[in-house]
Amino acid sequence: MRFKKGSKKTYYQNKAYLYLLPAIAVAAVFYWYPSVKSIVDSFLVVNQGGTVIGYAGLDNYRRLFSDQAFLHSIKVSATFILLFVPANTFVTLLASSLTRRPSRLSFISEYIFFTPVAVSLSAYSLLMREIFRGESSVLNHLFGTVFSGISTPGGAMAVLVILGIFLDFGLDYILLMCAFRSIDSSVIEAARMDGAGGWRLYWLVEVPMIKETVLVTVFLALKDAILISAPIIILTEGGPFRSTETVMFYYYTEAFRSGNRAVQNALASMVLTMAGVGMSVYAILKKRKEALR
Amino acid sequence: MKNKAVICLLLIILSATQVFATGQRESSSNVTEVEIWHSAQGSNADVFDSIVEQFNNTVGKEKNIRITSIYQGKANDVLTKVNAASGTSSLPDIAMMDATAATDMTVSPYLVTIDSLGIDTTSILESGLSSYTSEKGLLALPFNASALLYYYNKSLYDSLSLSAPKTIAEMAYAVSKTGLKGLNGKLTRAGFIGIPTTFELSTFIGSQNGLSYMLDNRNGHDGVATKAVFGEEGTYKAFLLEWKKVYDTGFYSTATSGTTEEFTAGRAAAVLASSSKLATIINSAESFEVGVSSVPMVNESATGGTVISGGALFAFTENEAVKTVLEYLVSADVQAIWSEGTGYVPVNKETYETESYKRFLKDNPLYKVASDALLSSNPGMTNVWVPSAYSIYYSFQTNIVNFLNGADIDETVSEMEEIINSAIKTYREQN
Repeated sequence: MRFKKGSKKTYYQNKAYLYLLPAIAVAAVFYWYPSVKSIVDSFLVVNQGGTVIGYAGLDNYRRLFSDQAFLHSIKVSATFILLFVPANTFVTLLASSLTRRPSRLSFISEYIFFTPVAVSLSAYSLLMREIFRGESSVLNHLFGTVFSGISTPGGAMAVLVILGIFLDFGLDYILLMCAFRSIDSSVIEAARMDGAGGWRLYWLVEVPMIKETVLVTVFLALKDAILISAPIIILTEGGPFRSTETVMFYYYTEAFRSGNRAVQNALASMVLTMAGVGMSVYAILKKRKEALR
Repeated sequence: MKNKAVICLLLIILSATQVFATGQRESSSNVTEVEIWHSAQGSNADVFDSIVEQFNNTVGKEKNIRITSIYQGKANDVLTKVNAASGTSSLPDIAMMDATAATDMTVSPYLVTIDSLGIDTTSILESGLSSYTSEKGLLALPFNASALLYYYNKSLYDSLSLSAPKTIAEMAYAVSKTGLKGLNGKLTRAGFIGIPTTFELSTFIGSQNGLSYMLDNRNGHDGVATKAVFGEEGTYKAFLLEWKKVYDTGFYSTATSGTTEEFTAGRAAAVLASSSKLATIINSAESFEVGVSSVPMVNESATGGTVISGGALFAFTENEAVKTVLEYLVSADVQAIWSEGTGYVPVNKETYETESYKRFLKDNPLYKVASDALLSSNPGMTNVWVPSAYSIYYSFQTNIVNFLNGADIDETVSEMEEIINSAIKTYREQN
């Protein structure tokens, strides 16, 4: 676009905003308005029908933090994040590293590793529930093992991590694969000329070049780990004994199943604020980094 | 120009979804559509579908009414969806839910009570009606009644000359005899599987001393409960002490999901489950004969019997079509078909007089256990209406397992009391 005269400049600038208008309208109705309402409502007493019947001050928050089930769900979420994010990064990076060089048979591995993207979350969760159902599960039947599956707290968490990896695998694999393949071949050839090969080439040249993409997959995994609830609803319903009741699953039972508006608004506002702070920090850091360049 | 194309595409997608969202309820010509959300699974779903089909081909055809039945998951999933759909056009005309829906539905502005639909309920079981009666009137029309039953592996019990236990102490003895451990010390067959929670406890606690309640206000039926009473009345403690005996046998499995599947697979010798699962359990237990009996009593003075449970039909639309459908579903003949196919106890008193149901009970004595248990119970026995029902459901399981693993009994009881009281307090402040 050309910016010649003042009037034309403002015209173009305004036109740009015009393009944004539909997106802003959608965001305002479906995102900003509910967010602001949640935050306001979290300081009020709201009945199940949604009518405001009084002022609560900080009571809703106080109640949330005095609920043992909520405090426990924070622990469960933290455990899941600590197990899932590294495991997911390792597995997807490993798979994409081993299959990164294009060859005539690449299509086989690519086909296998891409397909998880096309399978729905609920189908995977149901499948996992059947495979790992308890000691009489399909898995134990086939292999003669005695893995307790989702019938014990530890087993349930392990199965949830496996399921999480399956759900994220397809997309992460595609991202990493594209990153590996888009490395300029001249860089790799130059490194080879300098005598780098095998492990050194991979670890000191290729991985640093796809660092940004790895970071993206880590952030995606982190986001999924924090927000995980749908697979839990299908796989374990938070059980056994609340061992897989993450913060979002707790939110689901309280807000959707029990219609507890106090918890609903307080927790939603908190998560929203945390996400907002997180995103702002990330944006500021990124800006600074760009400025340094 | 690319941007324009993207925006155009976005707008088209947006408007398309708008069209679909509003076009959902379209019905052809003069036929009134009645949408029912239900929770019947497995073989029960087939029976329900056949009842619906029969309606559409007979009464429905005559009166231009068509039932669309949609499976929405378990009873509590139906409630979740009804709550989410409240106030929108996707709310169904009728939803099949259970007692856990009662607290939410008493305050729901969208519920149409059975009284206001003007349905005659004189032939419906009194205990069924009373279990859905609130201050607001009759919230829902009972559709099926069920009782908690003790399912056991009869082939195995017979081979060990054991009979169905009458008390929890006897049950512990049976569990110690029927459980099996492998060489590695792991359970290969549990004597009993499952952890009681709200539903089971309403019977275990309710039956004590002839009749007890878990919460005041008659378990929350006479207005929202104000507190839990199982602590001060000592009923929960009495139950826990007995239940520990079952745990102490070492052949008790604390699994909380897939318990009936483990039972039918022969990996557990006994399980507690609703009588509504009778048909499914008999059909899937291929390697042994299934036996059922009424729930073991906590002690000799726990004579209240069992709590009536089961589903009811909640209406959200007030018209003749909905009334016709509801009356059809609880009519004597339809109740006979439904009960014979599922194991539910009929809610229509006239069904017990029909030849077909009499013959059915004679041929299938197992189905008689539940109706006998219900008809001989104290009619005051009632299910629990408590806010945050799901959370409390999970809390009971955790609470009981913590006790079994060694927590102090009095602390266990008071912890559970506090959880319930605080849920009640939150709810009362909001409503």
